[in-house]
Amino acid sequence: MEFHFKGGKISLQKELNSLDSFVFDFCSLLDKENIKYVIVSGYVAILFGRSRSSEDIDLIVERISKERFRKLWEVLVKNFECLNTTNAVEAYAEYLLNGVAVRFARMGEFIPNMEFKFPKGELDQWTLQNRQYVEVLERTLPISRMELQITFKLFLGSEKDIEDARFLYRLFRENLDSELFEGFLHKLKIGEKAGYLS
Amino acid sequence: MRAPDINLEELKRFKEENFRERLAFLDKYADWLKRTPNSQWSKQQKNFLK
Repeated sequence: MEFHFKGGKISLQKELNSLDSFVFDFCSLLDKENIKYVIVSGYVAILFGRSRSSEDIDLIVERISKERFRKLWEVLVKNFECLNTTNAVEAYAEYLLNGVAVRFARMGEFIPNMEFKFPKGELDQWTLQNRQYVEVLERTLPISRMELQITFKLFLGSEKDIEDARFLYRLFRENLDSELFEGFLHKLKIGEKAGYLS
Repeated sequence: MRAPDINLEELKRFKEENFRERLAFLDKYADWLKRTPNSQWSKQQKNFLK
């Protein structure tokens, strides 16, 4: 695997799989509407070659106004459908503002789907403010900082999550900000799980 | 039919051993990825995810 890790940006060339194309197609619409977001899910491990798929991709999206959401909705529903509701106002007021994600899939499909949600707590806000970027085939995807991606997977703690954490650590351990990484291990109180990384 | 006796401690140990084996194999996979050209591994991934 050839990648360049510099200044918070990772450059990677790869042949896109169907999940990559789904993510890029959806995120390009957010980019066109100047919506700030970050990808935080296991998809990050898949983007970098993990041999598994995922039925959902987690997005934290900046808390936008109802008007901006309605405008975004009109753009999204030309190519994607919301699996929770067909009503933009309901999606915004009943779901997103109540901390519940709405999911979008390609028309007529159910999986994979994008899990679209507003930031819930301070860590979500930090994640959104401290994005890391992956450049793939002249497109850019914002992902959560690798130091958080790995440690949060350990925090979640399922076997799949720990496998993702170990996989990403194995690929990027030489590129991590050690102070930040250790800080997350300490603050998430998962020091004992660090043994799973090597 | 009655269910057989189950040694839960033994099962937990087997589960942990199996998990550790998967992690070890995952290391081999990550190492293979690191030394394999992007065009090659991403083509395999694309075929796998079809």
